[in-house]
Amino acid sequence: MQLAGRIARNPPALLGALVILMVALMAIFAPALAPYAYDQQNLNAARQAPSPAHWLGTDDLGRDMLSRVIWGARSAVFVIVMVTIIDLALGLPLGAAAGYWGGWVDTLIMRVVDVLFAFPGLLFVFLVAATLKPGILNWAKAIGLNDLVRSGYLDYAVVIIALGGVGWGGLARMVRGQVLMLKEREFVIGARALGVPTWRVIARHILPNAITPIIVALSMGMGDIALSEGYLSFLGIGLQPPAPSWGNILADNAGRYWRTFPQMIWLVFIPGLVLAAVVFAFNFFGDGLNEALNPEIE
Amino acid sequence: MATLLEVKDLRTEFHTQDGVVHAVNGVSFAVDEGETLGLVGESGCGKSVSVLSVMRLIPIPPGKIAGGQVLFQGRDLLAVDDEEIRSVRGNKIAMVFQDPMTSLNPVLTIGTQISEALELHLGMTKEQARKRSVELLKMVGIPEAENRLDDYPHQFSGGMRQRVMIAMALSCSPQLLIADEPTTALDVTIQAQIVDIVKRLKRELGMAVIWITHDLGVIAGLADRINVMYAGFVIESASNKEIFANPVHPYTLGLLGSIPRLDEAHKAKLTPIEGLPPDLIEMPKGCPFYDRCRFRAERCASENPPLELAGVRHWVACWNWQDVQKKRGPVGVR
Repeated sequence: MQLAGRIARNPPALLGALVILMVALMAIFAPALAPYAYDQQNLNAARQAPSPAHWLGTDDLGRDMLSRVIWGARSAVFVIVMVTIIDLALGLPLGAAAGYWGGWVDTLIMRVVDVLFAFPGLLFVFLVAATLKPGILNWAKAIGLNDLVRSGYLDYAVVIIALGGVGWGGLARMVRGQVLMLKEREFVIGARALGVPTWRVIARHILPNAITPIIVALSMGMGDIALSEGYLSFLGIGLQPPAPSWGNILADNAGRYWRTFPQMIWLVFIPGLVLAAVVFAFNFFGDGLNEALNPEIE
Repeated sequence: MATLLEVKDLRTEFHTQDGVVHAVNGVSFAVDEGETLGLVGESGCGKSVSVLSVMRLIPIPPGKIAGGQVLFQGRDLLAVDDEEIRSVRGNKIAMVFQDPMTSLNPVLTIGTQISEALELHLGMTKEQARKRSVELLKMVGIPEAENRLDDYPHQFSGGMRQRVMIAMALSCSPQLLIADEPTTALDVTIQAQIVDIVKRLKRELGMAVIWITHDLGVIAGLADRINVMYAGFVIESASNKEIFANPVHPYTLGLLGSIPRLDEAHKAKLTPIEGLPPDLIEMPKGCPFYDRCRFRAERCASENPPLELAGVRHWVACWNWQDVQKKRGPVGVR
């Protein structure tokens, strides 16, 4: 395919695509790939340097770093996919409605987006996550879902809702701009002149023509989502240990004993590097995609 | 023949930041079944806005249909609900646009696009719509129609795309086809082909046509009746023959003087109409053509002339049309 060829000829984009593919495979096949369980402790083998038994060493509870990083990929990918779905589910229809109907619909939706943008992004996510979490936990306990509370799955819900609830604004703004531009195009008026109903005009004639910038924005956004999940977990309002997240692995190791055991710096570096690599990969890939889909901008 | 479409005193405005643009100022015209009406005038004179208003395709806001009636088969299209107007669009009244390069959706195959109206209005299945699409493409003269159904618009030339547009417009056998400068973006030989196709299909299907153009040469061989528009007004309306043989509005005269003729001595010069049309935001109180008119009189500056009868079914909006008729010199017969 032309697109794949164009990406293959763009080294950063190709690298990005390979990293993304690797992370995706890690996420899908985590149980098969990880040599140990992500929460399996072995105090006799704590704080080990990398070795054939533990390729990336172990932390102070003797948990295998490689296993935790692999399972961390599953957490990251799950959050990325779910948040992207929420962004699409909110941003696409709201942005399209704002752009197509204009008037008070546009004003209402775009002022909400402005509010989202008015706060420093992550601060707002922290606020949402921090205030959301006790509510969700209390609600789950109240209806007797104690197992669910203990399992830690609700932490995922908090992270996903917080990031999704804040993140759709950018997509909505972009989609609105595209729709504003496309709705005046002759083929759209032509479709209306054929008697095509409004929702079908939007879904079949307008949005497919905006697919390129949407895909590029989503690809770039995925890197941000991975980073945000890392931030939240690093700061303790995201995924909680023992659930594996690159952010909380980083926090665990950095906080607890990096200063006491400075020779074990790799425990901090590895999750940080993985997270950085993923963020770069999505950005490089997004850039490459943009160039591949719009060959004229080079 | 029975009247198919009757537009009465249509007024369309656009509310912009600079003020209200009076695009269509009380236009009235009628189209009989099977008749071809030509709407002629320069850019911005309200031709397109008039027909887009008929179809209710004016962007609202900033546009606004401020008054008038559009009676199609007795129903006022300006008063019906959205559902009803959609069942008329593409089904009873269809439209072909000016630029075939931008009027087709670039991401859908032409088969899909032609099928859309068939599935929508006639309730055809995908199979039936596909079969009918092939027939339609053959009808407008697209070779190897079966193989071209799954092609995208960019795989067609401009003339072929305009044929596709016509096929789309005719898919539901409309009673009225509105062609908004369908040949303007095409080169001359293709123009002639498109005109021929529409003429042939009009004869075969018995539909009425409103053909919008700024080119009197195109409309000459096509229209039964011609309305000349200027600054949002119909300023002269007569049969095709009468417009060319006996134009009595100075603007019509000017339009005729600015088209080249093959049958005249090559010394004959083209005479452009000096000046520009009036600002549609601050409409002049008198005749909109006053500033550019060779025949203007005092009265023209203060009073806008209404349409009055100047011959058999020949209306003109000019205080001095009799004077124009006397002084204009020979117009020549086509």
